Amino acid sequence: MHTNVRSYLIDLLGIVLICVSLYIISVSSSLQETFQLPASLYNMNIIFLSIIIEALPFVLIGVLIAGCIQIFITEHHIKRLIPKNRMLAVVMSCVVGALFPACECGIVPIVRRLVAKGVPIYAGIGFLLTGPLINPIVILSTYMAFGNDWRMALYRMFIGFFIAVIIAFIISILYRSHQLKQQYAIQANSLIQIDRVNRQPLKEKIFNMLTHSIDEFFDMGKYLFIGALLAAYVQTYIASESFLMLGNGVASSTFIMMGLAYFLSLCSEADAFIGASFSNLFPPTAILAFLIYGPMIDLKNTLMLLSVFRAKFVFVLLFIITIIVFGMLMIVNRFI
Amino acid sequence: MRFYFQQALRGLILFLFTMFIIKLHRTGDLLKLINPKYTVISMIGAAILFLFFLVQLQRVFMVKKKSHVHGHDCSHDHDHGDSPITSRKMVSYAIISLPIVMWLLIPLSTLDSSIAEKKAIMLNLTNNAMSSEPKENDQSENKMDGKGNGLFDGNTEDDVTYHDLPADPNLYSNTVTKDQFEQIEQELELQSSILMSERVYAVYYDRINQEMDKFVGKEITVTGFVYKEADFASDQLVLGRFLITHCVADASIIGFLTEMEDAASIAEDTWIEVKGTIFLEEYNGSRLPAIRVSSWKEINEPAQPYLYPLTVKLV
Repeated sequence: MHTNVRSYLIDLLGIVLICVSLYIISVSSSLQETFQLPASLYNMNIIFLSIIIEALPFVLIGVLIAGCIQIFITEHHIKRLIPKNRMLAVVMSCVVGALFPACECGIVPIVRRLVAKGVPIYAGIGFLLTGPLINPIVILSTYMAFGNDWRMALYRMFIGFFIAVIIAFIISILYRSHQLKQQYAIQANSLIQIDRVNRQPLKEKIFNMLTHSIDEFFDMGKYLFIGALLAAYVQTYIASESFLMLGNGVASSTFIMMGLAYFLSLCSEADAFIGASFSNLFPPTAILAFLIYGPMIDLKNTLMLLSVFRAKFVFVLLFIITIIVFGMLMIVNRFI
Repeated sequence: MRFYFQQALRGLILFLFTMFIIKLHRTGDLLKLINPKYTVISMIGAAILFLFFLVQLQRVFMVKKKSHVHGHDCSHDHDHGDSPITSRKMVSYAIISLPIVMWLLIPLSTLDSSIAEKKAIMLNLTNNAMSSEPKENDQSENKMDGKGNGLFDGNTEDDVTYHDLPADPNLYSNTVTKDQFEQIEQELELQSSILMSERVYAVYYDRINQEMDKFVGKEITVTGFVYKEADFASDQLVLGRFLITHCVADASIIGFLTEMEDAASIAEDTWIEVKGTIFLEEYNGSRLPAIRVSSWKEINEPAQPYLYPLTVKLV
């Protein structure tokens, strides 16, 4: 009885929402004529919307896959693979991260749980760094964003991987303990939860996966939109020439792009499109810095890490990532 | 059983996004935003959004909230939309709805010359001409040289520029075979008078910049919008076109520096068609192909004002 009423209500609600949407759309089209905005705003609007339309499918696919993994694969599988040897574990964790399609927001809770279950902190960091940076969707979208050119995608993959290994190795020298905040330190009981999930019927699993994907979409959509808006603003109101002056040298432009990557907090599945839109302003090294640094650490990610790890550890990590990415790209610069 | 308002709101937003993409497809406005080669993937995006909408509906009426049955640990920064609305949440919903609001309230325009100014158009044009001179056809090298001349200085198979027929951009796929592409290039050599139609604009432009000297003195017919820079002589203007590689955000400008007597009297953003001959012009120390106009007329903005790069099929 109860379920009947519920499904009836859901159908009704669906119809209501569709009607509301259509009503909003038809009313607003008449509103369009009523006011006039400065011409530059129209340009900004179209650039903003085009970035979103372009990136949206990639974000949606990414979110779906992330949802799948979060529900269907347990950390068990990954943990079993990590070897005892430190260097091996670092490389291994980076490889696992590279094979694991996650975005920077999705990966933080996974890493937290991995570390809480006894995966060494450096392996966790290796995984954290390569997870969002290297995965099929990111590579594919980078390839497409740069005019179906594999070069940038490959650079991003291999140089990014190398940088991640170095950072994780430095962490392995500096830190031995788990660095988690106190309340997360004892979390062995999360295993019970996984058991329960495994026993869920498939239908429920898929439903959970989809709802998780939706939450993730809403969660990261806003960061993407803010990023697109900023990028559109820059393109509309700031002349290329002044940018070129600002970042004339490779070093300064690389630094600018890293700062941009940090503050835009773009999701790695979509950042290639925004990075590519800067490619006629900055040299490739700077664009590459944007593409490698952004997925590893950004404003949004820092906040998430702070909620999991000790503050001091997060700041040291931020510092190390910044220095290593910058330094490595300066070295690599002469070869690309 | 409870009604969760926020879940309903999310459902509404998801449906509006679905409609957003579908409407862009239906009206053809999509091509004002992105390259036609992304139409399929954006449709997939719309399908996923609609699926999300259907799933989201199920969450609006929930029997008394159970403890979480999620596979992942829910104490992370995720918002499941169950908690009460705070002002912080209002802000995030406002941000999420922003594209919808902007789409609904602001009509989609096409880029105009004020963007050209921001994109350092003359720098682009001279770079296109310069970089193609000494180098051989290493396109990817040029593409990454950070000066926005990427797409136009080489003809590797992957990414050559070429434009749909403006009459019906949807009909035309912006993918051609290698043979077709080579044929277009050959036609250029054979013509005594070059007609820069949308169809071949970017390909021809590319060739002309590569081998400027070969084309000097040839007759040419070009359309474009008028753009002027402060240091132009009174008889100079640029006849430009926007080239969209992926989306409008990466639009770059190609076109010709043009010399015509009436230049001063033509306002920026006017679309004109000119007939003239190609000659080499010195601009800020670099040579670039330019047009000396013999006749011109004003035209309406073409139905599809942008040019799109073309993917050449490898097989």
